[in-house]
Amino acid sequence: MEDQKDIKSQAIVVVEDFGPIKITGNFRVKDLRRDREESPTEIWLCRCGKSNNKPYCDESHKK
Amino acid sequence: MDNEKKKYTGGKKYSNDDITVYWKPSACVHASYCYRELIEVFDPGRRPWVDMEGASTEKIIDVVNLCPTEALAWKWNDESKNEAVDKDQLNHIKFRRPELTDTPEPVKEVPPVSAKIMIDGPIVVKGTFTFMYNGITKEIKESMVSLCRCGVSDHQPFCDGQHRKIGFND
Repeated sequence: MEDQKDIKSQAIVVVEDFGPIKITGNFRVKDLRRDREESPTEIWLCRCGKSNNKPYCDESHKK
Repeated sequence: MDNEKKKYTGGKKYSNDDITVYWKPSACVHASYCYRELIEVFDPGRRPWVDMEGASTEKIIDVVNLCPTEALAWKWNDESKNEAVDKDQLNHIKFRRPELTDTPEPVKEVPPVSAKIMIDGPIVVKGTFTFMYNGITKEIKESMVSLCRCGVSDHQPFCDGQHRKIGFND
């Protein structure tokens, strides 16, 4: 699959240590629960389960 | 090679070191320029009827260019030379048999990375992206990862399905 090698990374997905998932670059987020779709340039998504503003991080993990 | 086979339906091709001549019998109207001008190369009474060693490359090109149909066409074997060929080369495949030219592969449109927030479940990230976690950097190529959103997975940062057990509700 030669041509797969040519596809450039479109986004950076960083799982922050003890923090949220940060996505930057060319991406689209689809929230199935709230039936919402958005294409921001960066986003922080909750992965601790405690955010009061899911799917976004609201820093509840620090509490 | 395979591509060329697929594209080349019907007819034959003949090569010397410099060029390849394409022959499409169904297009021939027997105008007979080829064998009248260069019987050493194009001899309908001989098999194979084209002998690429019978004359110089320049002469063969000149005579192929005389063919009034698409029965005869030619190209340089060195593909880099084909691009520069001028319109006065009437029967170069570019002009006469464009279906035989190698069209560059269309640039694949790369879709944006998709992050799906599953209902009461993980974040499913799909596409081609750089993925960094636990000090590791991975290049994900047209693939996916499923990331824990409930905080209780034993396999962080990946989802291990425990959100169902704890009744994670977003």
